[in-house]
Amino acid sequence: MKKLGLFYLAVRNIRRKLFRTVSIMMSVAVVAGTLFSATMVIYSVKRSIAVGTERLGADILVVPADAETKARGVLVSGEPSTFYMDRSVLDKVKAVEGVAQVSPQVFIESSSFSCCYVGNAMLVGFDPQTDFSVKSWLADFSIKEFGPDDIIAGRGIPTMVGRTLKFYGHDFNVVGVLAQTGMTFLDSSAFIRMDAAYRMAEESAKKAVKPITVTPDQISAVLVKVAPDYTPQRVAVKINYAVDGVKSIPSDEVIATVKDQLSKLLTYLLTIGGIVWVMALLLIAVVFSMIVNERQREIGLFRAMGAKKGFMFKLLVTEAALLTTAGGVVGVALGGIMVFSFKNLITTQLKVPYLWPSTAFIVELLAGCILVSLVTGVLAVLYPAALSARMEPYNAIRKGE
Amino acid sequence: MIDIAGLTKTYMDGDQKITAVDNVTLSVAQGEFVSIIGHSGSGKTTLLSLAGGLTKPDSGRVVIDQTDIWSLPDDALSEFRNKNVNFIFQFASLVPTLTVFENVMLPSAFGSCCEGLDEYAKSLIEMVGLADKMKSYPSRLSGGQQRRVAIARAFVNSPKVILADEPTGDLDEATEAEILDIFRKKNADGVTFLIVTHNQSLASAARKRYAMTGGILKEL
Repeated sequence: MKKLGLFYLAVRNIRRKLFRTVSIMMSVAVVAGTLFSATMVIYSVKRSIAVGTERLGADILVVPADAETKARGVLVSGEPSTFYMDRSVLDKVKAVEGVAQVSPQVFIESSSFSCCYVGNAMLVGFDPQTDFSVKSWLADFSIKEFGPDDIIAGRGIPTMVGRTLKFYGHDFNVVGVLAQTGMTFLDSSAFIRMDAAYRMAEESAKKAVKPITVTPDQISAVLVKVAPDYTPQRVAVKINYAVDGVKSIPSDEVIATVKDQLSKLLTYLLTIGGIVWVMALLLIAVVFSMIVNERQREIGLFRAMGAKKGFMFKLLVTEAALLTTAGGVVGVALGGIMVFSFKNLITTQLKVPYLWPSTAFIVELLAGCILVSLVTGVLAVLYPAALSARMEPYNAIRKGE
Repeated sequence: MIDIAGLTKTYMDGDQKITAVDNVTLSVAQGEFVSIIGHSGSGKTTLLSLAGGLTKPDSGRVVIDQTDIWSLPDDALSEFRNKNVNFIFQFASLVPTLTVFENVMLPSAFGSCCEGLDEYAKSLIEMVGLADKMKSYPSRLSGGQQRRVAIARAFVNSPKVILADEPTGDLDEATEAEILDIFRKKNADGVTFLIVTHNQSLASAARKRYAMTGGILKEL
């Protein structure tokens, strides 16, 4: 038979009172679950914004002044929307100090495809001559020339390379499908050449059930890249000052908007998590103080049989560590199930983009939450464990009688 | 084997200073069977705890097998107890979540385990007549059976000295006789016994007997 060891005794002790064991585990599970799910949601939203804005490739988005809210809605929550301004804005923006590159885009709302898919999608027309955003993705698909009837679809549109997508009676060849960003604006959009967009609009009167009215002198947004020595915020202010009727939105501000939306939730979650953590810490400390009190005679007996003070200390710490680690595992499992199951509800309620973190991050987060649980148990039990170790064997035996 | 000299232990009961053990001197040779008889509160349990290194005396010394146990640091004293001394208390104090066999093996958790200890533990359990209860939990045992498990446990680390405090308290005569028989066997093997009791028949089994009153020890 294997020698009786500290770990074995700790495991056996845990089994003594099932209700108490489950209560401690669940209190830690709530802490670990809250920590895991809150971090997952926050990180996923941040990642989505980071990936999305990087994909956007622009430092500033210039939109009609009266469409600022709509434009932010498009970027943050991907609500399809159309707004137009005069093309002359492009040259005015280009002339502003600190502007290095400009490229126009036109947004066309599409709520119905010719077959198979009905959903809220955006058609984004870009100018191949000046574009610095979409072009960078073309390299990913080994596309040298983006043809007039070519289209790149966001991950949210159910199609694949080689297929055809019909918009307003016009057929487009799918030459690429983008990786998921979590930003609905990018995932539910399809990108076509600007001239194709205008042609499609023109033909829609004859081909489509619901025609669209956008003309070549209209654009929806100007994507701006700022010069190396300028900050997007500074250039945005300059554009707002120099060009009438427009509003410049720096990409960073989009992140700030989402951060604002998240901050309330974050504060709420952190407060709840903090309260639960302190309560769990106190609960464990109180329960283990009770355990020490209950087991006084046993502690005295162990010491009489030769157990050292360190053994008694480690025995209680091991018990707490095992319990809280198990609680942590249960917590992250429940938290994970919640986050994965209610992802759509979370994004709808918060109106934020969402992109799952990488597997490595999830693994690190899992380990981190379980570690927090373990540390919680160890911290909470330090005093009772020290109390147990300090007991004089004879007194412990007598008091426990 | 055990040399106790000038051992004194006092404690405070409110404002009153109580002398539980008053300048006790006692010498027990190796393989001896010594009993101390006395009423409740006479200080005999305190004396046993002082002798076994469970509570620190105010003055005096305890030498077991040429080691002044109260000069040892706490960890060394624990190690000394684990290797040389074991106790039998008036209560069985078995760990409820461990089986009979595991309870008997318990002292091995606190020290180095020797080869064949599990076989020895089994033989001890057989010796106390509980061979069929190896895997039983304490809650399934009677009071007498639990006491026998505690006795088997006391011998598992092959101690040189057994310090027993009312080892047969609350037991029926038949069980008491069985336990006494086990003690005699172990004593014949060379184990030194120091027993405190108020049970006359158990005390009279010893070759050397003492009485304790108000913390003072006298040979009978």
